Amino acid sequence: MFHSIRFKLIASLIAVSLLVGLISILVGGNRLYQSVLDEAHNRIRQDLNVARVIYDDRVDTIRMAMETIASTTTLSQAAMVADPSSVPPSVNALANRIHLDFLGITDMAGQVFFRAGNPAPENRVISENPLVRWVVERNQPIAGTVVLSDAQLRAEDPELAVQARSTMHASPLVPGSSDGLTIGAAVPIVADGRRVGVLYGGCLLNGDTAIVDKIGETVFKNEIYKGRHVGTATIFHNDLRVATSVKDAAGNRALGTHASPEVARRVLGEGKRWTDRAMVLADWYITAYEPLADIAGNRAGMLYVGVLENKYADIRNKAIAMFAGITLAGVLFAIVLSWLLTGRIMRPVSYLIRASAEISSGNLHPNIGPISSDDIGQLQKKFMVMVEALQERERMQRKESETRLIQSEKQASVGKLAAGVAHEINNPLTAVLTFTHLILRRTDLPEDVRDDLAVVAAQTERVRGIVKSLLDFSRQTELTPTAMDVNVLVEDSIRLMENQALIKGIDLVFKPDPTLPILVLDRNQCQSVLINMILNAFDAMAAGGRIEITTRNAGEGPKGGVEISIADTGSGILPDHLDKLFDPFFTTKPVGKGTGLGLAVSAGIIQRHGGVITVKSKPGSGATFTIWLPHRPQDGGQELPEVQS
Amino acid sequence: MRVLIVDDDAIVIRSCRRVLEAEGMDVHTASTVEKGEEMLADGDFDLMLTDIKMPGRDGFEMIARARRIRPGLPILMMSGYSTAGTIADGRRLGADHFIAKPFTPDELLQAVRHTIAQVDEPR
Repeated sequence: MFHSIRFKLIASLIAVSLLVGLISILVGGNRLYQSVLDEAHNRIRQDLNVARVIYDDRVDTIRMAMETIASTTTLSQAAMVADPSSVPPSVNALANRIHLDFLGITDMAGQVFFRAGNPAPENRVISENPLVRWVVERNQPIAGTVVLSDAQLRAEDPELAVQARSTMHASPLVPGSSDGLTIGAAVPIVADGRRVGVLYGGCLLNGDTAIVDKIGETVFKNEIYKGRHVGTATIFHNDLRVATSVKDAAGNRALGTHASPEVARRVLGEGKRWTDRAMVLADWYITAYEPLADIAGNRAGMLYVGVLENKYADIRNKAIAMFAGITLAGVLFAIVLSWLLTGRIMRPVSYLIRASAEISSGNLHPNIGPISSDDIGQLQKKFMVMVEALQERERMQRKESETRLIQSEKQASVGKLAAGVAHEINNPLTAVLTFTHLILRRTDLPEDVRDDLAVVAAQTERVRGIVKSLLDFSRQTELTPTAMDVNVLVEDSIRLMENQALIKGIDLVFKPDPTLPILVLDRNQCQSVLINMILNAFDAMAAGGRIEITTRNAGEGPKGGVEISIADTGSGILPDHLDKLFDPFFTTKPVGKGTGLGLAVSAGIIQRHGGVITVKSKPGSGATFTIWLPHRPQDGGQELPEVQS
Repeated sequence: MRVLIVDDDAIVIRSCRRVLEAEGMDVHTASTVEKGEEMLADGDFDLMLTDIKMPGRDGFEMIARARRIRPGLPILMMSGYSTAGTIADGRRLGADHFIAKPFTPDELLQAVRHTIAQVDEPR
């Protein structure tokens, strides 16, 4: 079954569809995934830009608030006198509205006289806040990212220091690590055309959720994938997560954890953007990082956005699954298709196989099914031609063997008859011969009686001759084969007949084929056949005739043999006689000139050698007898049943 | 010269008797093997002429029995239907010569003389 054409065809179709499917899965799946990833990388870069805009927007908001407040006259008057009590309450209200964590006012030297978050008088010192220092030293407004030390935070508002430290729970306390990352703005306060102080304010980013959640909301639309936010955003102070929407395993914001060293080195160390997959806590994210610089231009932290890689991996897995499904469907389709197809192709072939088997077992009329219109149809037609040729050959062989059988049966029955008749006749014939001769011995017979008696004796001799040839005919059973050269056999036979040919004035010619192989034949019997043929030819011709004997090698192999042809220029044979020519007792010779057994005996001898005698003739233009003898006699030839007396 | 002829066919016996008696031989005849055997046992013969194909016991049996009773007796066998095989069988059993039926008186006499000569020669 595994070697059947059907199986092979099905297997190859399956193999092809599997191959195509697998290649599609590997190449297509990866290409698709790659382009999705590329797209994701592009997206995340843009997302980072948006995040940056949101971040800067927040800074801008603070700056605008500071400028607005600073431009009010009540504030500039308060600044002029550096009196905290004259600072209008609307300042605090505004600070609360835009969620400022700290807000303060200093004089032009940076001496703080108002702190919203820490109004204690002992805190009225020279402010070390970089924002304030910037305005004091350069007399210009400033807004941006600023790192405030623990002391500065405490000075602004003790709560801020607590909040900042609370975001560092997971990290060891290293110098500077208790600093807070802030954004803020500071503007000069102008009264009557001169600068009278500095207004500053800002937000602590440590623990802040406003920016990162706004990024999540704006950029990622708070998309949830498998219970988790797809998009995350983080603000790093150095490599420490101080504000983030990344959640740890317990579902808490992953504050106080660190960025991977690789990212920190590239972004903080080299000041470059990072856009690649990165491990964030326990998951792979497609991420983008960029450095955050403080107002002095120093890299103070990083801004991060990232999307869960899982989402894209799942897209890939879905695509692969889809490809696999398509492949499987293709394979199933291939199986069904090839099953049907091979069925169509193989049906006539199966018929042919069955038909061949039937022919082998002897049925020459097999059913080969409907003739198909394709190439197989050609095969079927050729097969039919072959079958017809076989039928024809079978018919011919049957006819031939029937003819042979009839011939043999004829000879056998005649042989038996001859044996019986001969035996019964010979006893009385002995008496006739004896007494005729005894009477002939007498000297007192009248001459006419003697003459008559001589006729009796002669005719009795004739009967004896007939009976003898009958016996010879019935007795021809055993062959004594010896190896011989057929040409020599023919030459010997011709030599025996040369005198008679000379007397009759007949030309006897022999044309031997020198390439004849040695055959194994009964010399005497074969010679008698040849002599019989030559004698028959003599009888068919007047003086001046010609007998041409030729030998020829007729073919090779199991069907090969040697042909001896005896062609005469005699009277020929009537078509009516051709069929009866080899029948015992058939003769065209005048009474007393032939017994009609010569050709029958000859045919029997040649048959027993496995050969055959054929004859061709046209009346008036001679006859050609051809003796065919096989190179190797098959099964000892056609045995005549042995005749016993 | 005493000759025994064994044949089931009376006309053959009669023919042979006439030919041999014409030559002055003393001819005795038997139509069966048993009778022939009996006669061989009773008296001395110079030649036995026997047919091969006979009903009942045939000429081969006759030859075999004659050889037992008269080992030196010249035996001539005759047959109307003879093959090389039957002649060889007869010779193996002890026949000295063979003549095919039908025959002329001269042929018979020649065969008889040949048989006796053949048997006499080695003696």
